[in-house]
Order: sequence, then structure tokens, then C-alpha cells
Amino acid sequence: MRIPILRLDRILLVSIQIDLSDNDAMEFQSDLVERVAEIEATGVAIDITALDVVDSYMARVINDTASMVRLLGAEVVICGVQPFVALTLIEMGRDLLGADCAFNLGQGLEILKQRIAERGDIRFTEDEND
Amino acid sequence: MSSLFDDLRHSRRSAILDEWLSALRAGAPQHTDAPASMLARSDTEAQALYDAILDALIEHQPADSRSTAAKDTPVNLTALLRQWSAEPARQGLSPAQPISGLLALKRILLRELIASPDSSRDTELPWLEQLFDSLALLTFETFGETRERMIAAQSLSLMELSTPVLRLWHRILLLPLVGVIDTQRARQITERLLEAIVQHEARVSILDLTGVPIIDTSVAQHLMKTIDATRLLGTRTVMTGISPEGAQTLTKLGIRFGDVISRATLRAGIAEALLMVDRRIAPVEARRATGGA
Repeated sequence: MRIPILRLDRILLVSIQIDLSDNDAMEFQSDLVERVAEIEATGVAIDITALDVVDSYMARVINDTASMVRLLGAEVVICGVQPFVALTLIEMGRDLLGADCAFNLGQGLEILKQRIAERGDIRFTEDEND
Repeated sequence: MSSLFDDLRHSRRSAILDEWLSALRAGAPQHTDAPASMLARSDTEAQALYDAILDALIEHQPADSRSTAAKDTPVNLTALLRQWSAEPARQGLSPAQPISGLLALKRILLRELIASPDSSRDTELPWLEQLFDSLALLTFETFGETRERMIAAQSLSLMELSTPVLRLWHRILLLPLVGVIDTQRARQITERLLEAIVQHEARVSILDLTGVPIIDTSVAQHLMKTIDATRLLGTRTVMTGISPEGAQTLTKLGIRFGDVISRATLRAGIAEALLMVDRRIAPVEARRATGGA
């Protein structure tokens, strides 16, 4: 199943709602990085509200995706980590991400916008639009 | 001593030499724009080579036909032959050119040998073969060596060209990386960047990887070392121009760039660097308005 990538100006939204197979994960990652590079995205929000269980494999996929996106110069925020998921992840001893996490999508976007505002390249865009 | 070789060396020298020279010209690549001086020089070169080869044939002929012990080629002949082979190598001609020239002479000499009534062929024929074999080998070796030296020199100059450190703005350095990064180049890049940082008192350096075709584990490690070193000097580094494929590869290889700032394009990287030194690019009109007021 292809995961839809939604665009909100220069922010991309993805919502992972099922466990991904190996192939799905690869496809999702390359789709996302291509899109980030294409629109020069400044931020990506990965929403996992619908995931009740995150195993170590899924945690790694999310982790890897976040580093890829960060290498392409976009900020990343993970939204909607469920309490139970957070608990299991901590117990597995896995640090989910270096990326920021937010309780829901709204808070995630707030964080993204705040971080983007601190960036340098957003000023260039303002200049170009003048 | 062979009377035939003596004959060819002295009394019939000019006839045989003329034949060889015309064979050389026929076999030479048709560059019509070759200056006359070059042709004349190759003629004198061929004459000297002819004399040296026949001298070697006469003087160094083994007494025993069965003795296969390879004798050293005379020094002057070696030197002549090296020059003979190095010149076409420098001009970028094919290795067949000097060797076929040599073999043309061998054919002429063989014909003479077979046509001669002299009965000492049994000793002369193997000797002729042996000498020319070693000469052909030497020719090819010299050709290869010359080419290799040229390639080494070129790659050195390419390396010099390919790692410029540019002063993009006051206290901002730009290091555009182009081509394959190996250990040696990585060290050179680091050294140059550090020197430039000290010289310009840079605050930010931008590492642009747009021109790096392959980013693998070793390249990433080299980059990390470079970035760590710049951090020790108190500057910040922005990486730019990593392709989507590059980003995927790096992550799948398990390489974490941690808190290194990375931007998709050089443009975004420059903006980030300008922000770090509290500068911005502003339209000229706005400046005029505030300045004129």
C-alpha cells in the first residue's frame, strides 16, 4: 500500500496507519525523500496516531526516514505517539528519535513552524517574493 | 663476425635506411599538419637507431648459437629506443606506432639475411630474432611507463584544481567538492579548509557535495572527520547538496551525521550561513530607501 504524502505549502504530511512490510517501507522512504527534494520542503510531519503497536522494525523505519529527511535539510517532527506505544518503546530501550515528538498533529505543526522560522533559508524565500 | 651485418652497417646503409624510412612514413598516421622539422627530427632519430641496432647486431652477437643467455642491450641503444618510444606516447599516438616501425626494420633485415648467400644464417637468424624481441619488449615497456607518468601528473594537477576553498562572504567559506573523494583527497581537503579557516577567521564553512557522485561509508567518515576538525577551530559547518539517493544510502549504511546542519541546496546552505553571521540579502530598493531618507 502506498502511503499518501500530503503537501501543505512547504511542509509535507505523512500518516502511517498500518505496519509496513520491507517493500512498503523502502517505497515510502524513497517517495518521501524524492518529494522533499522536489519541493525543497522545509518540514515533514510524520503522524503515527493510528499505530497501536510500534515494534523495533517500525521504530527503525521511522528513525531512518527522519535522518534521511534531515540530511535533505528539512525539519522533522513525529506526531501522535500513543501512551502505550511510548511505554513499549521505552521498555525496548529504543530511543525513538532525535527528532521532536508532539502529542497530535496540531502541536506537531506548531513545533515545525517554530523551527522553520529560526532557519536561514526561509528569509531567502521572503526576499524572492518581494 | 658477420660480413652481412657489416655490409648493411656500412656499404649498403643508405639503401636499407631509405627503404626503412619510406616504410615508416607509409605506416605513420596521416597527420598532414605535422611540421617539417618534426619529420626531419624523426629521420635523424631513425638513422641513429638504425646505426645503434646494427652495431649491437655486430658487436654483441653471441659466439655460440645455442647460448640463449640474454645479453644486456647496449646502453646507447636503450637510450635511443626509449626516446623512440616515449615521443609517440607523449603525443598520444597508439603503442602500435613505435613497435610497428621497429618490426618494419626487422622485416627488411630478415629479408636481406635470407637473400644473402652467406651460410652463417643458423647463428644470425636466432640472434636477430632475439635482439628484436628484447627491443620490442623495451619499446612497449617505455611506452607504458611514459603513459603512466603522464597519467600520474594529470591526476595530480586535477587534484590541485578540484579542491578550491572559496571565500564566499566575510567569515563564510565555501568548499565545493567535485569528483570522487578518497583518503588522500579527503586529507588534502581537510588541510586546506582548516588553513583557510585560520587565514580568514571564518565562522561558517559550507561543504557542498553536489558534485560528489558516490557517498559511501568511507566518504562519510572522511566528511565527519573534516567537520569535527572544523568544530575544534570554533567554526560551524553546513553540508549542502546531498541527493535523495545519497541521503537514503547514508541512512541505510547506518551513518548518523548527528547535529550537523544539512541543507538540500547550496542556496539554502548559503542562507543558513548568512544567518549565522547575522547577515541577510536584501533588495537594493529597500537599502536605497533607508539610506536616502
